[in-house]
Amino acid sequence: MKVKIAMVLRYVILILGGIIMLMPFLWMLSTSLKTQPETVKIPPIWIPKQLQFSNYIDAFKAAPFAQYFLNSVFVTTVTTVGQLFTSILAAFAFSRLNFYGKNIIFVIFLGTMMVPVEMLIIPNFVTLSKLHLVNTYAALIVPWLASFFTVFTLRQNFQSVPDQLYYAAKIDGASDWHYLWHVLVPISKSTITAVTVLQVIGSWNSFMWPLIVTNSENLRTLPVGLQAFTGDAGTNYAQLMAASTFVILPMVILYLFLQKYIIAGISKTGLKG
Amino acid sequence: MEVTFKDVSLSYDGSREILHHLNFTIPEGTLVSILGPSGCGKSTTLMMISGLLAPTSGKIFFGDKDVTKQDALARKVGMVFQNYALYPHLTVLENIMFPLKMAKVKKPERKKRALELAKLVHVEDQINKKPGALSGGQQQRVAIARALAKEPSLLLLDEPLSNLDARLRIEMREEIRRIQQETGVTTIFVTHDQDEALHISDHIMVLNNGDMQQFSSAETLYDNPSNLFVAKFIGEPVINTLEISDFQGELDQHVPADILKNAVSVGIRPEALQDHDSGSDTIATIETTVKEFEKYGREKNAQLDFHGKKLLTTEIENNLEKDQKLTLYLQKSGFYLFDQDGKRIFGGDQDAK
Ligand SMILES: Nc1ncnc2c1ncn2[C@@H]1O[C@H](COP(=O)(O)OP(=O)(O)OP(=O)(O)O)[C@@H](O)[C@H]1O
Ligand SMILES: [Mg+2]
Repeated sequence: MKVKIAMVLRYVILILGGIIMLMPFLWMLSTSLKTQPETVKIPPIWIPKQLQFSNYIDAFKAAPFAQYFLNSVFVTTVTTVGQLFTSILAAFAFSRLNFYGKNIIFVIFLGTMMVPVEMLIIPNFVTLSKLHLVNTYAALIVPWLASFFTVFTLRQNFQSVPDQLYYAAKIDGASDWHYLWHVLVPISKSTITAVTVLQVIGSWNSFMWPLIVTNSENLRTLPVGLQAFTGDAGTNYAQLMAASTFVILPMVILYLFLQKYIIAGISKTGLKG
Repeated sequence: MEVTFKDVSLSYDGSREILHHLNFTIPEGTLVSILGPSGCGKSTTLMMISGLLAPTSGKIFFGDKDVTKQDALARKVGMVFQNYALYPHLTVLENIMFPLKMAKVKKPERKKRALELAKLVHVEDQINKKPGALSGGQQQRVAIARALAKEPSLLLLDEPLSNLDARLRIEMREEIRRIQQETGVTTIFVTHDQDEALHISDHIMVLNNGDMQQFSSAETLYDNPSNLFVAKFIGEPVINTLEISDFQGELDQHVPADILKNAVSVGIRPEALQDHDSGSDTIATIETTVKEFEKYGREKNAQLDFHGKKLLTTEIENNLEKDQKLTLYLQKSGFYLFDQDGKRIFGGDQDAK
């Protein structure tokens, strides 16, 4: 009996938590289907009288979203692939190779994880402007080509692979390079998938940085493009939410498909995203 | 391929030496076991032969060639690890093909060779499974097939049977012997199980604390242990060991005085203590008291008290009573004296190595 009550309690708490997490998304969905007056009505309403699907069409017409979408896809892809490549190499070096100062370098890098991202905005901006890269695709990509969080997560995973597998590969005639890409990476699939998805989501949703380093419309990414609905005359919440729904949709789909790997990969390293 | 160690020492951290001045030659085409207690440096020795680890000092030769400076890639040996170390993301066939792929063998040829090897080790019906779906014995055989794939002239096995149950162990050691004889590959087999070593190998190297104790045939190890450690390590049941001071003149007439003077320890194999006189092989008699007598089937064992020390014998003909007095005839074969360094100075064949 006691066990049953505990069980029920556990589910109640989980369901409540789930609802709280979902609330903003449901609110976004609901708002995206309201008329303009309904969005600011007090007390708030959850279900619009008449579903305004036209908001979606109007939102699309408000700005060149196709261009923003392509920009987002491009920046996210290059950032993620690049970051994964550098991180895999670094994680391999930290977990397997011996070089002078390895531990000190590792600790210094670990320290950088404590610096909040917001603090890096100004130094990064200054660096890029000195390199004359402000307002280019490079500005959107280059600063994110290395991530110590990814390096650290992968290193933890690589270290859990038994030494003997590495020795076996050596005996079988594999170089370090071949061992890395044909043995270590395939068997670390779940962790790599997890960090990839986290990076894709982070990159896709990134707002502050693209807003600061670009101002041409043709470089805008989706989250920045959402500003189109905020003007001097106020915010068109219905259209903003319609566009937002469209922006997060790919991430939701991605997450649903890969959630098994994400959870497995993250819980294995004992790290949270 | 013949493997020679010339004065090889190794230290992992530069301060503590793990292996001390090893000198030996492993003859081509033989199966040699490296036998010793846990932590004595068996795996380390194997890692140095494979080239995964470089010796701190000394030289290693394959045949006449000095390979000390070559790494594992260049030495091209086959190796089976203690936990098999199969690639978990590849199928059995892909695992066996992996070294061939590294050697840039063409795909059809690779596949053909891998299939032949799968047959040799009897896993041809498992080739499309992943290692995780195999039993320990099957994994081990796949590991052997993979090690043999590039036709190495040297096969190294690090306690390959330690994860298997008793029956499979016996089966697999016969299997390894068969494969070794079929392929003729020089094989070095690490184990801490003397039974395994005695059954499988042409020669046995006994290692303790990083020192080579003796390197000879199983028979020689048993009949002519070069020191007290080997005498105690080899043999089941374990040899009886006593101090020379436990004897009160029983040996005076039978062992030359100059040897007796240097003797510190005495080793007597349980079968060298008989309750009947066999004639010429008897070198002395001792008086004992029976403490325990056990009889199962044809076997008769007795625990005896000799001047307050325990002795075990397996050579009893008559049934015994507890606390009965018993005269034992000490047989020459199976009776040894060791000096203060543990070196054998009496008993066995003094010339045997
Ligand atoms: N990578 C290492 N770094 C430092 N010391 C090591 C290392 N590997 C082994 N040793 C030490 O070297 C000694 C010999 O180890 P080794 O693994 O060769 O023993 P072994 O005879 O194979 O033992 P076992 O039967 O338990 O496998 C041990 O004292 C061990 O602690
Ligand atoms: Mg070992």
